[in-house]
Amino acid sequence: MTVPAMPQPEALSTRYMAWYRFTRNPAAVIGAFMVATVILAAIFAPLIAPYPDHVGAVVDFRNRHAAPDLAHLLGTDKVGRDILSRVVFGFRVSLLLVIGVLGVAVPVGAALGLAAGYFSGLTERIITGFTNVMLAIPPLVMALAIGNVLEPNLVNAMLAITLLWWTWHARLVYRVSKSIAAEDFIEAARLAGASHWHILTREILPNCISVISVKTTLDAAFVILFGATLSFLGLGVKPPTPDLGSMVADGRQFLPEMWWEVLAPGFAIFYATLGFNLLGDGLRDMFDVEA
Amino acid sequence: MDPLLDIRDLDVAFRTYGYRAHVLKNVSLSIPEGGRVALIGETGSGKSVTAKSILGTLPGNAHVEGGSILFEGRDVLQLAEAERDRMKGTSFSVIMQDPLSSFNPVFRIGRHLDDVMRFADMRLGERSGAAERQKRIYEVLRKVQLSDPERVFSAYPAQLSGGMRQRVLIALALLHQPKLLIADEPGTALDVTTQDEIMKLINRLVSENGLSLLMITHNLGVVRQMADDIYVMRHGEIVEHGPLRQLFTSPREAYTRELVDAIPPLYGPKVVDQPPVEGETIIALEGVSKVFSERRLIGRGSEHTAVKDVDLAIRKGEIFGLAGESGSGKTTVARMIMGLIAPSAGSITVDGVTMAGTGRSDAFRHLTQIVYQNPGTSLNPKRTVGQTLSVPLRFAGLERARFDARIAELLRHVDLPAHYVSKYPHELSGGQKQRVAIARALAANPKIIVLDEPTSALDVSVQKNVIALLQRLRDELGLTYLFISHDLSLMRNFCSRIAVMLRGELVEEGEPKTVFADPAHPYTRALIAAVPVMGDEEEQMKPFVSAEERQRFLVDAVA
Repeated sequence: MTVPAMPQPEALSTRYMAWYRFTRNPAAVIGAFMVATVILAAIFAPLIAPYPDHVGAVVDFRNRHAAPDLAHLLGTDKVGRDILSRVVFGFRVSLLLVIGVLGVAVPVGAALGLAAGYFSGLTERIITGFTNVMLAIPPLVMALAIGNVLEPNLVNAMLAITLLWWTWHARLVYRVSKSIAAEDFIEAARLAGASHWHILTREILPNCISVISVKTTLDAAFVILFGATLSFLGLGVKPPTPDLGSMVADGRQFLPEMWWEVLAPGFAIFYATLGFNLLGDGLRDMFDVEA
Repeated sequence: MDPLLDIRDLDVAFRTYGYRAHVLKNVSLSIPEGGRVALIGETGSGKSVTAKSILGTLPGNAHVEGGSILFEGRDVLQLAEAERDRMKGTSFSVIMQDPLSSFNPVFRIGRHLDDVMRFADMRLGERSGAAERQKRIYEVLRKVQLSDPERVFSAYPAQLSGGMRQRVLIALALLHQPKLLIADEPGTALDVTTQDEIMKLINRLVSENGLSLLMITHNLGVVRQMADDIYVMRHGEIVEHGPLRQLFTSPREAYTRELVDAIPPLYGPKVVDQPPVEGETIIALEGVSKVFSERRLIGRGSEHTAVKDVDLAIRKGEIFGLAGESGSGKTTVARMIMGLIAPSAGSITVDGVTMAGTGRSDAFRHLTQIVYQNPGTSLNPKRTVGQTLSVPLRFAGLERARFDARIAELLRHVDLPAHYVSKYPHELSGGQKQRVAIARALAANPKIIVLDEPTSALDVSVQKNVIALLQRLRDELGLTYLFISHDLSLMRNFCSRIAVMLRGELVEEGEPKTVFADPAHPYTRALIAAVPVMGDEEEQMKPFVSAEERQRFLVDAVA
C-alpha cells in the first residue's frame, strides 16, 4: 500500500480532516444512513406508503389484525389499516415534532447561553438562575399539566417539550461561551471597537456551532422518544393521524398474539432514535467537542 | 569505546488523515558514556520524536521504518516489549517539560514518586516495602535540593511552586539511577532565575553521578552550559553536529549560523544600542497602584497588591521595555495604560488625556492597541485574516468600499502576501499569525502599541524577523511601543529604555546601556546574571551576584 506523502501540514483543510474522521467512523456513517432513510421516508411518505389513504379514518374490518404478508408487509391494525403505511407517515409526525421543538428551543437556549457566558454579573446570574429553576421541573409533569389545562394535541405537546428543552442548550452554550469570552481574541475585538452584538454573533457564536449541532442531533433522538412517550400516554397527536407512540399504545392491548402491531412502530422509534444518536456521536468525534 | 547510546539511520513516519509524514530522516546520533549531548532545532524539527523513539513512547500512528537504536550495544527496537519496559527508568529516563501539568492534582507528591518506584521495582522483579521506598525517595528528594523532603512528600502539587515541582520531576527521573537522562526542554515554563537554578542542578547531578545527558532544547544559551556535543536538527534531519565550541564559533551550515546569529547578544561588540529618544511624554503614570480584592459571600475577602506606587514617563517614539518575572505586575501596568482596568490610586495620562473612571472612550480606543503573547489564542480560529482585520476598520468608521485596499495595505506593512486575506489562522505558521495580530493592532492607526511578550512563543529565527518588522514599523509609522518581556537579552537590543519590576514595584529604570553596564538594584543584577548567553566573554561581563542575593530574589526559594 502506498500512502501519499503529507503536503504542508497547514495545507490540510479542517473540512478535509473532519470528513476524514467522519467517514472512517463506521457508527457515524451508519447513523447518517439511518437518519437519511427516516428523513427521506417522511418526505416521500405518500409515494412510499402502499396504502396512503390508510392514514386517515379508514376502516377495513375484513382485514383487521392481519398478520404480515405480501399485501400488508407489516400487517394491519385493529381497524384493518396497513401498519407500514402508518409507520412511514408516523415518521412525519416525529420529525415535525423534532423540527418544531428544536427549531425554537435551540435558538432560544443558544441565545440565552451566549449572553450569559459573555456578559458577566447580573445578566449571567439571572439567566443561569432562571435556567436552573426550569431544569428542576420534571418534563413529564409539565407535559401532563399542559395537556390537561389545554387540549392534548401535537401543538401543545410541542409547547410542553419546548418550554423545558431550551435549558439544556442554554447551559451547554453558556459553558462554551464563557470559556471563549476569556480568550485573547475577544479582548482584541473589543479593543478594536467591536460592538457586543458583533462579538456575540461573529466572534463567539461561530465557535459554538459545532457543539450546538452535535447536541441538536442527539436531542432529535430524545425528542422523538419523548414525543412517543407523550402520545403513548394520550397527550400527543389526535387520532386518526398516525403517530408511532399512539400506535404502540393501540397495539398494546392485543399483545402477545398480534405482536406486529406493537413491534413495527416500536422498532421504527428505535430505528430513528438510534440513527440520530449514532450520527450525533459521529459528529461529536468529527468536531472533537464535548456536548 | 562504544557509545552508551547510538542511533543509526533512524527513519520514522506518521500516518495521519491518509497521508504519510516523514518526520525523522536518517537520523544518526551518539551519546558517549558520561557525555552531555544537546539536540537543538525549531518547532516541528523532530527533536521530541527522536526522544520518544528512544523511550519507546511514540504514538500509535508512528512507524519506525528503518534504522536502529543501540543502547549499550543492544538494539532497543528489536527487544520484546516487556524487556523494553524494564529499561524505562533504569537505563534511561526523561525529565518532563511542564512542571505545571505533569502532576495529577488530587494525589500527593509522595504518591506520584512512590507509584513510579513501586512499578519500576515490580518490573525489575524486586520486592520493596513502603517504608523502605519512602527512605529511598527522601534520599532522591534531598539530591535535587529539596531540603525538607517530608514536607514535599506529603504536599499536594498545587502547594509547591513551579521550581519545586520541576525539581520533583527531576527526582522522578532519578529514582532508579538511570544511565541516560533525557531532558526535554526543562524549565522553559519557568522564570529565568528559576530556570538558571534548574540548569545548574541538572548539570551537577549529571557530573556527580556520572550520568549521560541528552538535552533537547531550542534555547542555544542553555546549550552552552549544558552540553559538550551538539546536534542541529531541521525538518527531521540532522544538518550538522560537532563539539560545542566549534559549532558556536565556526558553524559549517548556513542554517546553524542563522540560528546562532538569531540570538540577541547581552554584552559584547554585537550588541545594538537603540538611540535614546527625545520627545514629549506620551504616557505618564503618577503614583499608580492597583489592588485586587476578592469579596466573598461568607467570611472576609482577600486583597492582593499587584502594582505599588509606580511612576513612569514614556516619551513619544520610544520602545519602552518593562521587564520582570511572572507576577511582578508588568501586565497589570499595561492593562491600566490601555484602560482595560482602572488604577486603585494615582493617575494615568495618555496623550494628554487623564483617564478617569473605568470607561474607554472612542478616542482612547484608537490610541492604544495590543499584540498578545500567544498568536494561537489571539486570533479567532473561525475567522479569516480578512474578517479579523476588517473589525477595527469597521468600527473606526472606514467606508466599506475602502476596506479591501486598506487590508491589502496592512498586509503589505507586515510583509504578508495579499492572498492571505482568505486564510484561516490554522493555515498560518506562528510567525505569520503574529504578523496578522500586528496588522490588526495597526488597523485603527494607534499611536501606542503594547507588545505583551510578542515573540516568546516563537522560534528564535522567527523572533528575529518579527522584531525587525516591529522596528521598521515604528520608524515608518512613528509609533510608541510598550514592550513587556522577561527576555533581557532581547530587550537589551530592542528597547531604547527599560524598567524592571519586582513584586509590583519599579526597582530600576534607565537606558539599556547603563542598566546593563552597571545595574543599580541587586534584583536587576540577579536577573541579568541568570540570562543564558552564548559566549564565555559574555558570561564574564555579567554582573556578579552572591549566592545569598540570588536566593533572596528567587521567586520560589526552596522552602
